[in-house]
Amino acid sequence: MIPQDRFRGLFHKYLIALFLAVAIPLAFNGVTEAWFGYRDQRARLDQWLGVQSASAAAEIHDFIHGITSQLGWLVQLPWTDEPDERRRTDALRLLRQAPAIASLTLLDSNGLERLYISRIGLNRIESRTNRSADPALVGAKADQVWFSDVSYYRGSEPYITVAIVGNRPAVGAVVAEVNLKLIWDVISAIKVGKTGFAFVLDRSGRLIAHPDISLVLRGAEEATSGPFRAMRDAIGPKAGFATSQDAQGQYVAASAAPVQGPDWTVVVAQPLSEAYAPIYGALWRTAAFLAISTMLAGILAYALADRMTEPIKLLEEGTERIGAGSFDHRISIHTGDELQRLANSFNKMAAELALAQQHQERIAKLKRFLAPQVADLVDRAGDDSLLDGRRTEVVVVFCDLRGFTAFSAGASPEDVMNVLSEYYEDLGRVIAKFEATLINFSGDGLMVLVNAPVPVDEPALRAIDLAVDMQKKVQALIAGWRSLGYHVGFGIGLASGPATVGRIGYKDRLDYTAIGSVVNLAARLCASAADKEILVDAKVAADVKGKRPVEDLGDRAIKGFDKAIPVFGISFDAL
Amino acid sequence: MPVVGYLCPESPELFASRLEAFRQGLAEAGFVEGRNVTIDFRWANGQYSRLPALAAELVARNVAVIVAPGGAPVALAAKATGTTKTIVFEMGGDPVQLRVVDSLSRPGGNITGVSSLSVDVSPKRLELMRDLLPAATRLAVVANPTSPTAESQLQKLHAAAETLRVQLQILNASKEEEFESVFAAVAKDAASGLVFTSDPYFAFRSARLAALAMKYRAPAITQTRDFPKAGGLMSYGGDFMQSHRRAGIYAGRVLLGEKPSDLPVQLVTKVELVVNLTAAKLLGHPFSAAVVAGADEVIE
Repeated sequence: MIPQDRFRGLFHKYLIALFLAVAIPLAFNGVTEAWFGYRDQRARLDQWLGVQSASAAAEIHDFIHGITSQLGWLVQLPWTDEPDERRRTDALRLLRQAPAIASLTLLDSNGLERLYISRIGLNRIESRTNRSADPALVGAKADQVWFSDVSYYRGSEPYITVAIVGNRPAVGAVVAEVNLKLIWDVISAIKVGKTGFAFVLDRSGRLIAHPDISLVLRGAEEATSGPFRAMRDAIGPKAGFATSQDAQGQYVAASAAPVQGPDWTVVVAQPLSEAYAPIYGALWRTAAFLAISTMLAGILAYALADRMTEPIKLLEEGTERIGAGSFDHRISIHTGDELQRLANSFNKMAAELALAQQHQERIAKLKRFLAPQVADLVDRAGDDSLLDGRRTEVVVVFCDLRGFTAFSAGASPEDVMNVLSEYYEDLGRVIAKFEATLINFSGDGLMVLVNAPVPVDEPALRAIDLAVDMQKKVQALIAGWRSLGYHVGFGIGLASGPATVGRIGYKDRLDYTAIGSVVNLAARLCASAADKEILVDAKVAADVKGKRPVEDLGDRAIKGFDKAIPVFGISFDAL
Repeated sequence: MPVVGYLCPESPELFASRLEAFRQGLAEAGFVEGRNVTIDFRWANGQYSRLPALAAELVARNVAVIVAPGGAPVALAAKATGTTKTIVFEMGGDPVQLRVVDSLSRPGGNITGVSSLSVDVSPKRLELMRDLLPAATRLAVVANPTSPTAESQLQKLHAAAETLRVQLQILNASKEEEFESVFAAVAKDAASGLVFTSDPYFAFRSARLAALAMKYRAPAITQTRDFPKAGGLMSYGGDFMQSHRRAGIYAGRVLLGEKPSDLPVQLVTKVELVVNLTAAKLLGHPFSAAVVAGADEVIE
């Protein structure tokens, strides 16, 4: 997985988690609010429509009641056998006062028609027709007030017959035909909200009043009354409003109330679009609120996720660069939280790694020529002043193999390299053991320095012991080689004296070296030494006198020296 | 802007009050002349024979609806053009009997309108005159022989006369010049009175009739309140303000896109009695208390 993918995964997780953390409570809140708002509004609508239908029913009742109470004035006085001119005047006056009354019939206590007054037809006075079996009279006698079913004059105009009896039989009864078209004034004045309306149905569900008079004039037709009756039936006897469809198929909320007396039903209907307008408004507001909140939640989640993952991305990049070796890289995070602490830890670690690397490099350089423990010592000293050039007393040790050139010419390269490898392996161990400084090696010979750069106690003694140890180790090897048929020897030369020591070379190729005649002397002594022989100069011999068995070999002419110089030796066999 | 074709049997002066009522109704439906509707008028100025030609003129024009107010002859003239445009009538007669519509609730075809019941109440006028002149054995009835409703009205009047036990003297008048002779005929018989049948031609000449009635001191009753207002004795008939207003509403509803077949013929609910007490005093025939009490308007 490439880093970018890991980063994206974390960002997405944060983004989704944060977004859901904000959006879910918001959505929950919005939905519950909408639900409760809907319920409240329905309850409010129910109550409001109930009030509207009750008040509409009261107005229709007032219309009917107004007519019946006016008719009541005509049944106050008892009839005599004489024509009653006053009653005729009252009847005509009533006709003028109550425009809905189309005709009036006054009956006496015997059910005989005494007076008939009509707006259209001819009046009849004292016709004395017996109408005692008239259902209107029979009904009124039973219930005081009687209402007929609605009839449609010429199939169009709705009429109802109302009959009233007085408080005693002698006053007779009045039967009136009432034109229900006049309810239009009442029904059209009833406003239900902005677009709502009220209508009236008779017992059998025929339309008798509606703001649109043209519908009322066809109320006798099933096609007209059917949808209205369906609306009434949808409400049913239960309390509360119902939703139904009007004649145009528009959905309405409707509530009904009965009109006592003629047994009619007043229905108030309001288009659902208006009735639920507050609900829809609230729902729209909630939806808009949710949409905006969700958007904000998204932006917030994005910003937060970005804020959270950005430092992690920096950390990731930083650690990768540090891991790749850029120890000078620093992770820059200022979030003031754990991430910043983590970044600081990484920075500290990088700094420490840089130091450790520097240290490692130094040690590695020192170990080129110093024994590991000496190298550590020098390193611990903290600076390289120990390695600076100076003049000091040193013991120089040279050693090489005898007859190696001849051997290498005859042997296979593998054999040569094996021999050299074993040889240096052992010598290296010895040099390290005695903490001597390796100056150089070439082919089968090598130069070692004692007492520089780190001074030691009794350098001569240590150099002698070093040489002896070398001789022992190499002779053991030689014994092995001999069995393989390789004929080589090993000689060592030591000299002590002042020399200039210090680092030479350039950049990463620095070596430690010693310059002076003591070096030449040691080299010459080595050249003179035979197999198994360790040759030392007078100074070394003097330094170890009495401590190691040094044998005076007398003066010897040494190449490069004008006169013969005293040479001492340590015999391998004497060890 | 939609155009209403308005076919008028009379002159603008005589029709002013009816037109005003029509405009009211139009406004109730949301239309105001000059603002969102134009009215294209055709005036017959009392020459009913010109109605078919004027109706044809309107049909040829780009009108949205043809309004035919002021009586059966106008509605019949409009219908006779055979136009497919909607016709809204205003009349006093029974539109079913006149074969203008199929039924009141389902007019059928492209015609609907308002009827003011004036024709139906002709017998009531005879009854009122009988009440006023209980001693009279003969009452004169004035009919317009050119009116499509004349025959049916006379039929009803004869039936009523039998009930009321009075003889009828039928007088005809179809031109203004014939009015004088009608009054002159009655003036000879001091006990008699004149009952005018419902007819727009008579209705729109109420002032002239009132003047003649006073001149010949003849008790008379017509269908329109204009008559007692102009000094005549009394009137009994449908409220023309209501019928013209409703015609206006129907014209507006047609302009709004409703089909005439969905608009049932409306009957005017209000039939009004107007009496002129001054005229009664002048004529020496005071009204009974019952009549005055039942009058919708009393002119003193």
